[in-house]
Amino acid sequence: MERSFATEIESLKLGEGQTFRGEGILAVTKALLQSGVSYVGGYQGAPVSHLLDVMVQARDYMDELGVHVEACTNEASAAALLGASIAYPVRGAVTWKSIVGTNVASDALSYLSTAGVMGGALIVAGEDYGEGASVALERTHAFAMKSSLWMLDPRPSLPVIVRMVEKGFELSEASNSPVIVDLRIRACHVQGEFRARANRPAALSTRHRGAAAGFDYDRLSHPPAIFRQERLKVEVRLPAARRFIAEHKLNEVFDGELRELGIIVQGGLYNNVLRALQLLGLADAFGASRLPILALNVVYPLVPEEIVGFCRDKRAVLLLEEGQPEFIEQDVATTLRRHDAQVKLHGKDLMPLAGEYSTEHMAQGLRKFLAQHEPRLDLPGGGRWLAEVAGVRERAAKLLGSPLPARPPGFCVGCPERPVFAALKLAERETGRPHISGDIGCHAFATFEPFSMGNSILGYGMSLASAAAVGPMMAQRPLAVMGDGGFWHNGLLSGVASSQLNRGDSVLVIMKNGYSSATGTQELLSSPPPQARDASGRSAVHADRTIENALAGLGVNWVKTVSTYDVAKMKRTLTEALTTEAQGLKVIIADGECQLERQRRVRPATARQLAAGERVVRVKYGVDEDTCTGDHSCIRLSGCPTLTVKDNPDPLRRDPVATVIDGCVGCGLCGENAHAATLCPSFYRAEVIHNPTLRDRVLRGLRNLLVPA
Amino acid sequence: MSIPERSLTVLVAALGGEGGGVLADWLMHAARDCGFPAQATSIPGVAQRTGATTYYLEIFPAKREVLGGREPVMSLTPSPGNVDVMVASELLEAGRAMQNGFVSPERTTLIASTHRIYATVEKMQMADGRFPEERVLAAAKQLAKHAVLFDMRKMAEDNGTVINAVLFGAMTGSGALPLPRAACETAIMRAGKGAQASLRGFAAGYDIAAGARPPPALSPRPPPPETREIIELGVARLRDYQGEAYARLYLERIATLGNADPELVGETGRQLALWMSYEDIIRVADLKTRRSRFARVRQEVGAKDGEPVIMIDYLKPGLDEMASLLPPFLGRRLLSWAGARGKLDAYNVGLHVKTSGIGGYLLMRSLAWLKPWRPRTYRYREEQALIERWLAAVRAAAPGSTALALEIVACAGLLKGYGETHRRGRSNFLAILDDLVQNPAAGDAAARTPAIRNAREAALADPEQKALEKTLGRPVTWLRPAKSR
Ligand code: SF4
Repeated sequence: MERSFATEIESLKLGEGQTFRGEGILAVTKALLQSGVSYVGGYQGAPVSHLLDVMVQARDYMDELGVHVEACTNEASAAALLGASIAYPVRGAVTWKSIVGTNVASDALSYLSTAGVMGGALIVAGEDYGEGASVALERTHAFAMKSSLWMLDPRPSLPVIVRMVEKGFELSEASNSPVIVDLRIRACHVQGEFRARANRPAALSTRHRGAAAGFDYDRLSHPPAIFRQERLKVEVRLPAARRFIAEHKLNEVFDGELRELGIIVQGGLYNNVLRALQLLGLADAFGASRLPILALNVVYPLVPEEIVGFCRDKRAVLLLEEGQPEFIEQDVATTLRRHDAQVKLHGKDLMPLAGEYSTEHMAQGLRKFLAQHEPRLDLPGGGRWLAEVAGVRERAAKLLGSPLPARPPGFCVGCPERPVFAALKLAERETGRPHISGDIGCHAFATFEPFSMGNSILGYGMSLASAAAVGPMMAQRPLAVMGDGGFWHNGLLSGVASSQLNRGDSVLVIMKNGYSSATGTQELLSSPPPQARDASGRSAVHADRTIENALAGLGVNWVKTVSTYDVAKMKRTLTEALTTEAQGLKVIIADGECQLERQRRVRPATARQLAAGERVVRVKYGVDEDTCTGDHSCIRLSGCPTLTVKDNPDPLRRDPVATVIDGCVGCGLCGENAHAATLCPSFYRAEVIHNPTLRDRVLRGLRNLLVPA
Repeated sequence: MSIPERSLTVLVAALGGEGGGVLADWLMHAARDCGFPAQATSIPGVAQRTGATTYYLEIFPAKREVLGGREPVMSLTPSPGNVDVMVASELLEAGRAMQNGFVSPERTTLIASTHRIYATVEKMQMADGRFPEERVLAAAKQLAKHAVLFDMRKMAEDNGTVINAVLFGAMTGSGALPLPRAACETAIMRAGKGAQASLRGFAAGYDIAAGARPPPALSPRPPPPETREIIELGVARLRDYQGEAYARLYLERIATLGNADPELVGETGRQLALWMSYEDIIRVADLKTRRSRFARVRQEVGAKDGEPVIMIDYLKPGLDEMASLLPPFLGRRLLSWAGARGKLDAYNVGLHVKTSGIGGYLLMRSLAWLKPWRPRTYRYREEQALIERWLAAVRAAAPGSTALALEIVACAGLLKGYGETHRRGRSNFLAILDDLVQNPAAGDAAARTPAIRNAREAALADPEQKALEKTLGRPVTWLRPAKSR
């Protein structure tokens, strides 16, 4: 794993009354332990990876508490894990990135919510929406509504988040329904503090095992029980949930003197709307607002009495709900209509239909709202601010002259996946560009410069499946790229098995880098065995053959394993796969261990050797500045952060020359590319011998008689 | 003590792997030590993989005791016009902050390092795609209330630490934070590992921002050489390349321009010197075996005295290189034979030459020793003929329009690289020379000048020559490997 959570594990052990300090998602983790969970599972993905990562690393402590931790292979298996709470009074929690994880989990979620739960079942969903998001932008809210899952959207303050997790379990138990705790990206990473409580060991746990439940048809989501269960959802569980929400005051009302107006806001947006109010001069720094606010820490289900109660005696309310469709607004509108409440409801009519609600958007929406309903209110500060912002942006644009070049994320220094795309770029010159079916994972960085490759991305592990109907219509075979993470998540079944069943004829490249790298190098089924991970820095992934064996087991005959850094061979293999007469799925296993993991082993080992005075050979690549002519073909085939440009030292030349800067890990791609693409004679490989032995020194002395090196 | 009206806001723009998260932690610790409520948040995600990312903090500059149990409500997202301290770990990111409206003249102290880490789209261009840094610097000075701008990466390197320590020091030293120096240093010390180096970096940043020590001197770009200097440089280069007579040939060629505009003479002299010293295998072998080259590589890879460095050169000579050494009639036959069969790149041999070893060195030197043979080679003959053709076009245009002549001169810049890259550049050059210089459609110089410029820029727009083909309205063919399918 990329990160060590040693200090965070200690904060999970804090006792009653001690102060927890840390990020939101770890506060949630602590709250799970305070709630007495028996099991925790999930699938990694920003912004919730840390929840599971810390638990995996804290295995010993979890054992002590009797908590079972399961690193699931996908979100469907994580959701199914919650099945334990159907027939047993145990609390459990799972986590994933949403919307995508919820999509994958949805089958199990339907059944889970239909059967209903006995023990509290919690889903911690990282709502990957807005700035920093990396997935299709849709709302988890839709799943909550269709499956009768209750959804919490807590105010982004650690004590509130923790309370909502604890109350979430109680709510789940009081209403026999699973509960989603939805956290936005920044809320997961917000640093704050709260007063901890002691962790609670569960009654039924890995330390205190029980007997299997007896047969009870009503707990099966199977006819005829399903007919009763659907009615239970609306007739029993929903009213119970509403009662609990109202009784425990999970939603919060903040009074304000402008009583005839009001704001209803998703809890997660509360801090930002307050900032907007503050900028308009309508609130102070401590949250005292002139406009009354109803903060919905529970966004589904709403409690009609609370809504009507808040709106009573008001002329107008503004509903701030991020994303689309505006489910809450529709819900509120129906409620108000049914109760014949005469308040005017605003929402998406004044706010953007799509996208994140920034402070600026909210201030603009509030201004429009107040202009209609309280035109005499003086908002000089707010108006000035909004005008200023526009002015400053305009000035900046003029001074900068043209938009700045974008800087999207990219492959790391020495990444083993980069060479595959270099090889593909070269192979294309001979074969023409095939349809390239992309996937989720680091390899999706190939969609950016300098490769700009990919025709579609359809979800995690879906690349091969999404090329299935393309192949039969194209003159050229399609090529699907998939990571080993995607392969285990979904690709093996949705892609490979389906292709085998239908005698597909595509090419599949599997990036075997050994880990789920994009999410923080978590372990996979096919991660190299620990003893193969030595400090030499050599790739260790060849030591595991689970992927190869799985492919053989499915009857895939055309499988070639190629070291990713061997660009020439990779190019030949790609060309062959794209052009061969052989029918059937052709799999190229691009073998090269994640460079982050390799460097994590090499760096400390090298530092130790150097300190101990041992002989160490360090490799770095370079470009000769006096033979480089500044065409940058090498960069168009690489994009490595340490292969860059600098001013041309030759006073007669103008274009910058290529250069390799410090940080090059000597992966070798530069040399391979120079050869495979016949680039130029400027590249060299240098091996620096630190702490040379006597032999090294004598040899150098001899060479120096002739060579001035 | 009066209670402040609002939180102080800090936005940090950094690149993945620069320690932005650690910087946020330091700030949080320092704020807590002062008893100030504080909050930090970020959007790491995949941006941690070398992309641009941000960290956002709010600090309420009043001790908790005086707040009477009230908690300030802090925003999770920065809003434009409301950033007190904008920190950028790299110059382009400072520009991005301004573009997004986060630097306001009323309020913002901008702390930015002036070094550049080029984005891929900047460095992959066929010529110079770098964003003009002067523009970012000028904008920073105009848009910020107070700007602290210096090369913080250099300061970090000099102090054996990471840039985040220098940034932290500069923030504190600028006086824009409500945190005393001691609290910040304690926060760094708490981290233990590497704290001493971080403290040195912090102190450097602090002192520079506070004006107590000068920022590291900028190494200003040398001004472009003037005409006389260019000619001198050209002469020296060609004397080194092929001897006295060749240098004389250079001067004679320049002389044919007569008393043309000095700028034109300078530019022609520059391009001509580069062209006449074209990079054949003899030149490359010569450059790679010079004492100065070995010294430069040692320095580039950071080898200390006494540490041996093994150098391996990646060469892949093929028919092009072979032909360039042959006498004209043989060279021409070889290339037309291979060109017709699409086999120009079929026989390249990848060599790893250990130039630092005796065998590799001798191999390279023996190639370099072929220098006297060069004037008898096919490539030499070809290059000189094309040079004359180009010079004639320049001479023809000069009396009528210096601007037109300059455009024709600039076309020689398309000739660069090796092997396939060189063939592509040459075909672009020839296409422009044929179509727009020697057989122009429109008559007057005022129309021809921009036409040539457009075509030249199109030739540099993409390596597939799509833009140039569109500009010229015809395919530009060049000898490239045949498609196998
Ligand atoms: S050899 Fe080239 S691609 Fe590999 S790490 Fe060094 S600069 Fe990057």
